[in-house]
Parts: sequence; structure tokens; C-alpha cells
Amino acid sequence: MDLRLTEQHLKFRDELRAWLTANLARPWREELRDPNNNEDSLMEVRRQWQRKLHAAGYVGMDWPTEWGGRGASEVEKSVFEEESARADAPQIVNFLGIGLLGPALIHHGSEAQRRRFIPPMLAADEIWCQGFSEPGAGSDLAALRTSATLDGDHFVINGQKIWTTFGPWADWIFVLARTDSGDRYGGISFILCKLDTPGIIVRRLRQITGESEFGEVFFEDARVPRENLVGQIGEGWRIAMTVLAYERGAMSLAYAARFERDIRQLAIACREHGRGGTAVREKLGRLFVENEVMRANGLRNLANFADGNKPGPESSFEKIFWSEFDKRFRDVALDLLGPGGLLERSSAEARADVDWAREFLWARAGTIYSGSSEIQRNIISKRVLNLPQI
Amino acid sequence: MKFELSEDQALLRSSTRDFLAGEWPIEQARKVMEHDPRGYDPAAWARLAEMGYLGLLLPPNLGGQGLGAIELAIVLEEVGRAAMPGPFLDTVLAAALLASAGKRDALVNDIAAGKALVTIARDDAPFSGGNATPTRFEGGRVRGTKYFVPFAAAADALLVTTLDAVCLVQKPFEVIALTTFDLAQRFGEVKLDHAATAIGSPSLLGRVDQLAAVGAGATLLGLMSRALEITLEYVQTRSAFKRPIASFQALQHRLADMLLKTESTRSAVYRAAWCVDTDAPDTAIACAAAKAYAGDASRLVCGEAIQMHGGIGFTWELDLHVYFKRAKTLEQHYGSTEAQIEHTLAAAGF
Ligand SMILES: Cc1cc2nc3c(=O)[nH]c(=O)nc-3n(C[C@H](O)[C@H](O)[C@H](O)COP(=O)(O)OP(=O)(O)OC[C@H]3O[C@@H](n4cnc5c(N)ncnc54)[C@H](O)[C@@H]3O)c2cc1C
Repeated sequence: MDLRLTEQHLKFRDELRAWLTANLARPWREELRDPNNNEDSLMEVRRQWQRKLHAAGYVGMDWPTEWGGRGASEVEKSVFEEESARADAPQIVNFLGIGLLGPALIHHGSEAQRRRFIPPMLAADEIWCQGFSEPGAGSDLAALRTSATLDGDHFVINGQKIWTTFGPWADWIFVLARTDSGDRYGGISFILCKLDTPGIIVRRLRQITGESEFGEVFFEDARVPRENLVGQIGEGWRIAMTVLAYERGAMSLAYAARFERDIRQLAIACREHGRGGTAVREKLGRLFVENEVMRANGLRNLANFADGNKPGPESSFEKIFWSEFDKRFRDVALDLLGPGGLLERSSAEARADVDWAREFLWARAGTIYSGSSEIQRNIISKRVLNLPQI
Repeated sequence: MKFELSEDQALLRSSTRDFLAGEWPIEQARKVMEHDPRGYDPAAWARLAEMGYLGLLLPPNLGGQGLGAIELAIVLEEVGRAAMPGPFLDTVLAAALLASAGKRDALVNDIAAGKALVTIARDDAPFSGGNATPTRFEGGRVRGTKYFVPFAAAADALLVTTLDAVCLVQKPFEVIALTTFDLAQRFGEVKLDHAATAIGSPSLLGRVDQLAAVGAGATLLGLMSRALEITLEYVQTRSAFKRPIASFQALQHRLADMLLKTESTRSAVYRAAWCVDTDAPDTAIACAAAKAYAGDASRLVCGEAIQMHGGIGFTWELDLHVYFKRAKTLEQHYGSTEAQIEHTLAAAGF
């Protein structure tokens, strides 16, 4: 066992820390809570942040340098995520492109597609969104019905995507569409669509936070060039799955850094509001303990990656752990803050450290998206415990 | 970076598992628990000593193997899996305490050789957090009452904590048995008015507490992983409504959560052990958090194991209650969950 970072990784971390200190004008937390910022201007803040990161070589950390990446190791990628969370840096704006589509293009795309799409993706000049879910196909993603029919050198696309994060701001969407209605998994293709194509309409959806960060996307005889197909016809499911697997990293360390910061803020808030005593302390302590266990899980996974092991069921463990913990944590936070925790960020009386009300509501999403907790448990019982399926 | 055990450590794991399977099959463990008033079997104890387990942490010049906290965790995980009764962790901790005081080498040697049984007497009150009258050390005598002293009746000597010293007290002492539902772990109440020698200051307990947290956490990990294993076998063989009950999603999801808790405990316990061995800056946090989490998790997993066995799970006959009781006992000792949470917060500067 050895959970220590190597000299080389420590050097990388120190350089990154110095860079973050020099380049983060003010904490993202404050930016987020600045009443002068609305959803649109926040997108712009994130776009600028991604550009800064890109110029410094921190976007596409583990991509090959040939495609504009840094060619960094899993460990460095994880250090980057952890340090960014610790420094309270904004999330990059194009995380769906960088996280999912980029790897898909690098692994399965054509040379021409990589050349065309990767540079503006890295530079946040073209924002991407992910069109997988449909009204009738969420957890059961392969039930999707959006169809793509070849007509000469174009696909004609019909159907509807939903819960599309950043749909209202994005320039492009990568969709899974059915090219063969008879073949459940083998009849799905992976296609890139420009959102201003005639026949594509995006509508905002309002979320429980009041924001409209996601939307729905309608396709009515939208004609998309055939060259926008990634891989072969019918390969979409396989591409989507390998990309999702590729995306797995030791994310618990970044979450633990963010949660620890918020737990400390909560303790300060409790003190300032005269909420103390053993009951309060025990609640804070339990949160802290669980967060440390999450950190231990993250360290273990990182060490396994560094040791050359392939990602396995750890990603389901991590997903359940952080998302379920997030819900409990935010619950306790509002419980300890009392009615003051319910104040909206626009309210002058709201605490300026963390947007507790919004975090509480947002925590509801983590156990639903990217494979709900139930789906993750299905994966563990099927693939790890090998329990009989019916 | 590497989480996996080294070759030597993996070998220690498999040899300990084999040794305990031969020496301590669960039937044997239960026989001793249920019928031997000492709560352990001296003959088997001697074999543990012979194999070097009792001197695991001690330097070779004191009859030990000079191993670290990771190895301690490996062995105790197996002890937990086997539900081995007896004062194993207690003697290992007492020996470590004596050794770190740099005193009484002969006694340390005897502990490692299985010739002397020494445990640590710490609790000043029958209920944790009660208004205890602390035990005192004055004029060469220790006075007071200690509760829940591990294996007090069998001990040759006790290491007694007082406000400003750790003292060594030799038998005989008067012991009132405090019988709990966990027959693997015997406790006594000891009234002390004894000549004693101070072997060091209470600060010696710092490292011992960390080893205790790792050791108890590892035992809890062993208990819960074995309870989960037994349950996974059962749900695949037991049928209801013409299907193996393992095919019910209501059980599958809970089994997945049991595995999640078990593996998270593993991450936390081995991280803590590694921190102790490398003297990492977050050792205190990692140890306390691991023990606090392991206690909760093990009780829950062992409890779910009983639930998933239905009626037979509630019987004395089935072994699961042994794991469940052990888990609950360990949760309360070697720094209760409550105390460990407080340690975590204090170490993190809250
Ligand atoms: C904030 C947010 C952002 C999102 N962003 C995107 C995006 O950018 N792109 C995109 O494509 N999608 C996105 N999604 C969609 C998300 O992936 C789906 O909501 C998710 O997969 C669940 O699908 P569903 O909503 O259809 O729920 P359903 O699949 O209908 O599930 C309803 C409930 O049933 C449970 N359930 C379903 N199947 C099973 C089963 N087999 N066993 C046990 N329980 C089951 C679920 O866990 C859930 O509790 C986003 C969702 C949210 C909340």
C-alpha cells in the first residue's frame, strides 16, 4: 500500500495551486451569489474561466497532446479536479463536450471530425449538450425512439430529447438516435447536430431551483449531414457506453474537498447564530466523518488507477456515495440553519458563504442524473454480486 | 500509488485466514464463548503466541515481528471474520503501550510469548459520559474503580489510566464480572486500592488510541464482510414465490448497499492504517473517522444479514447473532462512535 503522491505529482500540484491562486479573481461561490449575475452572465463567467484554463493547458487533461490535451495521467487529472474544488474554481462551461464528446471523438471519430470539432470545444467557442434522454427513455435509455433516416447524404431526424443540460445555451448537441427500429441496442447511432439547423427547436424547462439550466429539444424533419455520424451506423450504443466508462475517474476527492469546505462554512454559520451544543456538534461530526470515508474511497480508487487497474464497479460506489451523502448533508444544513437556510440568494439577509437553499434543492438531482441510485444498485447487484436477474 | 497489499501482506492475510480456519472454526469459537468462563482458550492462545501474532507490533528485541498498523489491520480483519473470541486486540494494545513507554521489557516479552495477559483499564464510569470519579495515583497507590476492563478476570496485570499517569498494577485484584450479550468479549469491574508503578504519562495513549481505532475498525470490517458473505450464499439458495430470494430487487438493492458500506469501511480502515505507518499529517482524522464509520456500518450490515435470513436469522443456532453482537460491542469500545466523532472534529480544528 502506498497512498502518497509521487514527487512528480506533488510538483504538478504545487504548480497548479500557484496558478489557481494567481488566476482566480474571486471565489466562484461569491460569483454565484453575486446578485448582479444572472444565468446568462454566469455562463459567460464559466466560458471565460474555461478559456483561461485552456490557455494554461488544463482543459482535456488526460487527452493526447495531439488533440490539444495535456496527456496527463489519471492521478494528475484527479489532482486537478481536487485542487480546483479546493480553490473554489468555477466548473468549465463545456463539461459535457470535454467530458463525453471529446473522448468519443478521440476513440471513435474520424480524423476530419476531430479536426473540425475539438479545437472550438476546448476553447469554449462551441458549447455542447448531450441528447440521450427522452420522455419515454431515461433509465431505460435503449427505449429511445428519436429516429434518424438516411436520405441521400443527410440524416432526417425526428423525435424529442429532454432534460438536456445547457440545451438553452449550447451550439451543438450529440444525440443517440434510432437508425434501425428492429434492433434494440444495435440500431442506435451517435450523431452530431447543430442546434440552429432548421427543424430543431429548443425550449427551456424550469427546474425546482427556479433556474432553467436544462431544456427539451424537438426534431422535426431536421436534416443533418451524414458526415456528422460518429463511428458506424448502429454503433451508437457501444460508443456511448465506452465513453461513459472512460469518463470514470476518482471524483470523490474533488467532492470531498468541496463538501469539507461547505461543512466548515456550516460550522461557522452555526457558531455565528448561536447554535451549538452536543447535538449540533454530533451532526457536524457525522457529516465530517462520512466525508472522510468518501475521501478514503477516492484515494483508494485513485491508487488503483495509478497502479494501472481498469475502472470497475468503483464508479457506481462513488456515484451512490457522493450523491446520497449530498442529500443528507444539505438536509442537515437546512435543519441547523433554521428558516435562515431557506433564504434565496437574491435576499440581502441570506448568508453569503454558501447558497444553502439552492444546494439543498440541487442535491435532489444527483441521485437521478448519470444513472439514478437505483440503477447504480442494479449495476452492483448484477455485475459485482452476480445476483440472479429475472 | 497503490492501494493493494504488498506480497508479504497478502501472504500474511492468507496465512492468517488459514491458521484461524484451522484453529478457530466458528463451532470452536462458539464452544469457547458459550462454555468457557474465561472467554478464551489458553491452549489456542499459546498457539497464537507461537505463530508470532501476539508480538505483531513489537520490535524483534522484545520478541516481536516489528510489523505495522497495516499488518495489524490485516490480522484483525481475519480475527473479525472468524469471530475469534479473546483479548487479542487488548493484549496487542497493552504491549504496544508498554513498549512505547520503554519500560518493562521482560513483561512485554512475556505478553508476546503468551505467558502474561495484560489489558488496559480505562473507563471510570459504568455509562460513558457519566459523572465519573477519576481513578487516582498517589503515593505509589492506585485508587478508584474501573469499569468494562477487558478480560480483567484472566489478566495478570492491568495498565490503569489516571489523570496524570498510566500505571501498572499486578494481580490479584477483585473483579466483578460485567456480563454483556457479547460472549466473545469478557469485561469486569475492578476496585483498585493497589500498589502500582507509573510507567508513563497519559500522552502515551495517543498512539495506542490510533492503533485501537485501526484494530477495532478492522475487526468490524471482518465481521461485516463475513456476515455479507454468509448472506449472499443464503439468498441464492433460499426460495420464495418460486424464485431465489436473491432475485428480488428489494433485497438486491440492500445487498448492494451492504457491499458499499463494507468496501467504504475497507477504504477508511486501510487508509487510516497506512496513515499511522507513514505518520501522515491526517492520521488522527483518518483513524477516528474510520472507527466511527466502521461501527455504524458494521451494525447495519450485520443487522441486515439477520433480516435477510428471516426467522432462522433470529435463532441462537445460526451464527449471525455472534457477528451482530460483536459489532455492537466494538462500536461502544476502543473509542465509542460518539467519542471518535469528537476526536475527528477536534483533529480537524472544529
Ligand atoms: C439535472 C438533470 C440534468 C440532466 N441532464 C441530462 C442531459 O444533459 N442529457 C441527457 O440525456 N439526460 C439528462 N438528464 C436525464 C437523466 O439522465 C434522467 O433523468 C435519468 O436517466 C432518469 O430517467 P427518467 O428521468 O426518465 O426517470 P425514470 O427512468 O422514469 O425513473 C423514475 C424512477 O424509477 C426508477 N427506476 C427506473 N428503472 C428502474 C429499475 N430498473 N429498477 C429500479 N428503479 C428503477 C428510477 O431510479 C427513478 O427513481 C438530466 C437529469 C437531471 C435531473
